[in-house]
Amino acid sequence: MIAPGNEATTKRRPAKINVRILRQDGPGLPGYWERHQVDYEPDMNVISVLQKVAAQAKTSEGQKVPPVAWDCGCLEEVCGSCTMVINGRVRQSCSALVDRLLEDDANEIELRPMTKFPVVRDLMVDRSRLFRSLQRVKAWVPVDGYYDMGAGPRISREEQEQNYPLSQCMSCGCCLEACPQFNKIEIQRQPGETNEDYAARKNAAFDQGFVGPHAISQAMLFNSHPVGKNMASERMEALTATGGVQACGNAQNCVAVCPKEIPLTTSIARAGRAATVYSIKKIFDR
Amino acid sequence: MGSNRVLVVGGGLAGLSAAMKLAELGVPVDLLSLTPVKRSHSVCAQGGINSVSDLTRQDGDDEWKHFDDTIYGGDFLQNQPPVKEMAYWAPKVIDLMDRLGVTFNRTPEGFIDRRRFGGTLYKRTAFAGATTGQQLLYALDEQVRRRESEGLITKYEFWDFLGPILDDNGRCIGATAQDMVTMQIRSFPADAVIVATGGNGLLYGRSTMSVFCTGSAASRCFQAGAKMGNPEFIQVHPTAIPGADKLRLMSESARGEGGRVWVPRKPADPREPKSIPESERYYFLESRFPKYGNLVPRDIATREIFNICVNEGLSVDPTRMSVYLDLTHIPRAELDRKLGGILEIYEKFQGVDPRDEPMKIFPAVHYSMGGLWVDYEANADGGLLPGSPKNQSTNIPGLYALGECDYQYHGANRLGANSLLSCIFSGLFVGPGIVNWMKGNKAASDLPKSLFESAVNVQEARHKKLLSNVSGDENPYLIHQELGDVMTRAATVVRDNQQLTEAFDKVSQLKERAAKCALSDSGNWTNQNVIFTKAVQDMFPAAMCILKGALHRDESRGAHFKPAFSQPSLVATDPSERRLEAERWCDAFEENNSKFLKSTICTWNGNEPDLTYEAIDTRLLAPRPRLYGLVGAEVIEQVWKERSAAKAKKAESGKEQLVNS
Amino acid sequence: MNSPAASAPTPSFLERNDFLIRRLHSLSGLVPVGAYMCVHLITNASLLGGASVFQNNVFTIHSLPFLPLIEWVFIFSPIIFHAVVGIWIAKSGRSNLQNYRLTGNRRYTWQRMTGYIAIIFIFTHVFHLHGWFHSDWWLKSVAEPMGMAQFRPYNAASSLANAMNSLGVVWPIFYAIGVLACTFHLANGIWTAGITWGVWLTPKSQNRASIACALFGVLIGMAGLSSLVAVKTTDAKAAEVIENEMYKSRIDAHTITPDDHKRSGTHESVEVKPVPVQ
Repeated sequence: MIAPGNEATTKRRPAKINVRILRQDGPGLPGYWERHQVDYEPDMNVISVLQKVAAQAKTSEGQKVPPVAWDCGCLEEVCGSCTMVINGRVRQSCSALVDRLLEDDANEIELRPMTKFPVVRDLMVDRSRLFRSLQRVKAWVPVDGYYDMGAGPRISREEQEQNYPLSQCMSCGCCLEACPQFNKIEIQRQPGETNEDYAARKNAAFDQGFVGPHAISQAMLFNSHPVGKNMASERMEALTATGGVQACGNAQNCVAVCPKEIPLTTSIARAGRAATVYSIKKIFDR
Repeated sequence: MGSNRVLVVGGGLAGLSAAMKLAELGVPVDLLSLTPVKRSHSVCAQGGINSVSDLTRQDGDDEWKHFDDTIYGGDFLQNQPPVKEMAYWAPKVIDLMDRLGVTFNRTPEGFIDRRRFGGTLYKRTAFAGATTGQQLLYALDEQVRRRESEGLITKYEFWDFLGPILDDNGRCIGATAQDMVTMQIRSFPADAVIVATGGNGLLYGRSTMSVFCTGSAASRCFQAGAKMGNPEFIQVHPTAIPGADKLRLMSESARGEGGRVWVPRKPADPREPKSIPESERYYFLESRFPKYGNLVPRDIATREIFNICVNEGLSVDPTRMSVYLDLTHIPRAELDRKLGGILEIYEKFQGVDPRDEPMKIFPAVHYSMGGLWVDYEANADGGLLPGSPKNQSTNIPGLYALGECDYQYHGANRLGANSLLSCIFSGLFVGPGIVNWMKGNKAASDLPKSLFESAVNVQEARHKKLLSNVSGDENPYLIHQELGDVMTRAATVVRDNQQLTEAFDKVSQLKERAAKCALSDSGNWTNQNVIFTKAVQDMFPAAMCILKGALHRDESRGAHFKPAFSQPSLVATDPSERRLEAERWCDAFEENNSKFLKSTICTWNGNEPDLTYEAIDTRLLAPRPRLYGLVGAEVIEQVWKERSAAKAKKAESGKEQLVNS
Repeated sequence: MNSPAASAPTPSFLERNDFLIRRLHSLSGLVPVGAYMCVHLITNASLLGGASVFQNNVFTIHSLPFLPLIEWVFIFSPIIFHAVVGIWIAKSGRSNLQNYRLTGNRRYTWQRMTGYIAIIFIFTHVFHLHGWFHSDWWLKSVAEPMGMAQFRPYNAASSLANAMNSLGVVWPIFYAIGVLACTFHLANGIWTAGITWGVWLTPKSQNRASIACALFGVLIGMAGLSSLVAVKTTDAKAAEVIENEMYKSRIDAHTITPDDHKRSGTHESVEVKPVPVQ
């Protein structure tokens, strides 16, 4: 690789980067666009752009504004925090490299919050539905407990290689954002409502919506674990209930945008097959 | 104990395993985290988790050797009982994680595969690709979600811990915290509070850590009276990818799987790395440490890399200091199976495929060995007494610390793949002790409300003051940058008293300036500005502990390296002369240990930390020189061996005399 | 996590039986609707072999007992079910093709668009040639005056040719679009059904299935289009002569019963001997 200094001179980059950000002051409030300008540096990603925006707290017109709110964590694409819609496409802002974004459009980088989740503020959204889905499909191994009971079941290398990619899902929500069948459910807090009541009301609403590819994939992961399998029928019940695997429209955007390249559509097809078998069995086993 | 509750702060491996274990014991848990727990910094751990296995056992390994490696790797700065307990629990921890569904890599026959890691000669490390931390965290997250749906665990995600609440006797009875969305501040009454909030890499501006590793939670406990232990021991990881916003870790597993570190022998060699013939490459770790090779402990590897770039001028890149970490001799399929995750990170952020071209890496701040001081109670075998409320307890009764934010397990240097172990082990182990602790106390929920209200009032006052501080003119983001620069210059690989003194003054000034931060956001909805400013302000006590601890430790030990107080290497060539030199070396070593084989203990006096020292519990293993088979230092090891043999003989005969008389 | 049931919105019947309904939708698209479509298009294509071949095929179909019942149970109702549920499904999603220009996403969007086109096409087509209802009043005073209900099974080719040529190229173009939309919808529908039911799982097998479905689509689409070409080249007058002769001989052979509704209106009715009862 060429040293960063050389790269900047060979590619002739602008001195400044323009960023257009869709902001929103709180849930239910109207969104508005705001322009910011930051100094260009080699090897920048969207996170470092946003860090500069936060430190400046000034629009490109020089107007003082509160810093843009956004969510981030590890900055190396394993925590799943920093998902947003960048130049029209959902992705992790840490791995969205500025040089590459400027190839799309040299004048401007466009940032907006995910559209399938309620906006909390600016680029921050409430993704609790995503985790609720994991609860819906009971994405865990039902072990007896956490005492020492010796080793787990023997697992072949082949199985491990099938399951490992699925277990890399970092709950970032890219698949949900890109899925045409996954629609936003926004439940606003009522005045005086406790956190618990609010969460319960949200969950009840979420449970009517599509669980999403990530949860289907997790259900398949645990259904193929020797002990996780013990709850397979409960998971299949969830996957054939309202908002289950049948809500998938096979657009296959999920697998195309997944930053971890998880074979989500394979999981969906596996879930489809399992649902076929499960529902036929259910008819005759009654 | 119907009304007893535990508050767990932090949802990484330590916090989650504690929450999960407590829920199993029937204790309701409130789990509080800055971020959805599944996104905690533990996800970034890559390489693996250590334990003795059936396989290594047959090569002569056992738990004692794991314990020995850990203590030796930590340069004897740990109290030994907790480390021993951890090493003996390690196989059980891995068994449990295996049962929870962690997708560990497998051998063709279906057993858990192992790789070798730094500071050991055995292949002890279980791994799940190169995302072991992520996999372990997810398994625990899943169990916590399960307990959550059963109603035993209540999660509070996007909440910022503001500090412990103490009653008039100094017992911890809960904590205050702030909802980072609504900005509401409230108290969480609890009969025990566990702080498992990880490291403080953000003190250094850029490090390998996640953005929320500010160390503010530990600092808030410290400022509330908890002691801090060995804060000056900061691990600088030898191999990281330099970046504008973050220094991304390149796991030790890259070397564990055969990766080789080298530089061209010719300074500023302009050739492409692959066109440089073997004979013109300098594999400096392998040639200096033939026994351990590229897998020397991290502090040593870091110093060697730093030295080769800074002092010997052999950096491979003229604009950015770095050395080659070379994997290109390993088959692609094997790399993908075992290291896929980290190679993708390199590829994504550097745009170069490390399967084809050597990576360019340089050390980066990675881990804090020190942290909140915690107690333990040993059993007769020199391990820990299970169920003792003292285990993992800070000096504030009822306040526990686990994981990276405690100081207990890693001494002066942590071995790779031991951190995941210490986190999960301490999380599992602490549960029964906390249950016993709660038995003897009046339930926090029955205590007068005023205690909690006044704690909330204090925090609200701080919050309001910050929001209304319009007269200030300091920018918290820039202050943070300055702090990071000072800390990186003074308190990383090489330390110097003059520099440390200056840095301490500079940090004290910055602390004053940080008090005058003006916020660009004075609103009361998802105000990240104020949350960050508070975190920055709370970084200073921790930063001062590091600097002051380092300043007063006039020796070199593990990650703390002061050239001015290092033992010189042997220079004599004549064997008898050299032997004498080694004798003197060993004398000096013993003398230094009597002075500095102690834990630095910091307490907060309101303005700065006060230092005291505490003896190390070395009941199981006597300290010995830590050389890792360094070429040219064999004679020191020889002398030391003879001395310890003589000592043992003397002790034996003394015992006999005692029996005979 | 026991949410208060009262606060949960009560799910509709469709939502509660989401899975069953969607699977029936998927199934109905294959069998009988898809299967019928294949038979239908292949029968139409037989017009390439001349008016008599086509007329023979039509006679065969019309010799089925209880034809209207069969039509309603196996053709019209499934199509209506598939269409209604299809609209509901299409409305449950929101296409985002402008941001994600991916093959799968295109197919997703096209599947819905061709579905809408197919609904319009099929309902118009059935009205145009069949008239929707068998009631005399409906046919004589509503459908036929509108230029609809034009097909006469016992003058199959000629009535078809007349119907198709009644508005210049309008009908052929309309039919071409409709047939191609249906073809895409069926071919892609088979592919998605394979995923839905779990026949092809991995990207590799889905790719292979995709190629197979595309080939199938091309064949069916060619069959459909070729019948349009055949209609265009059919000499209605000549065809009618042949048809009338075939009609006579069939009546004579007692393989059909005389039915003026199924014939073009310009002919005199043919005297028939009563069918001997066995």
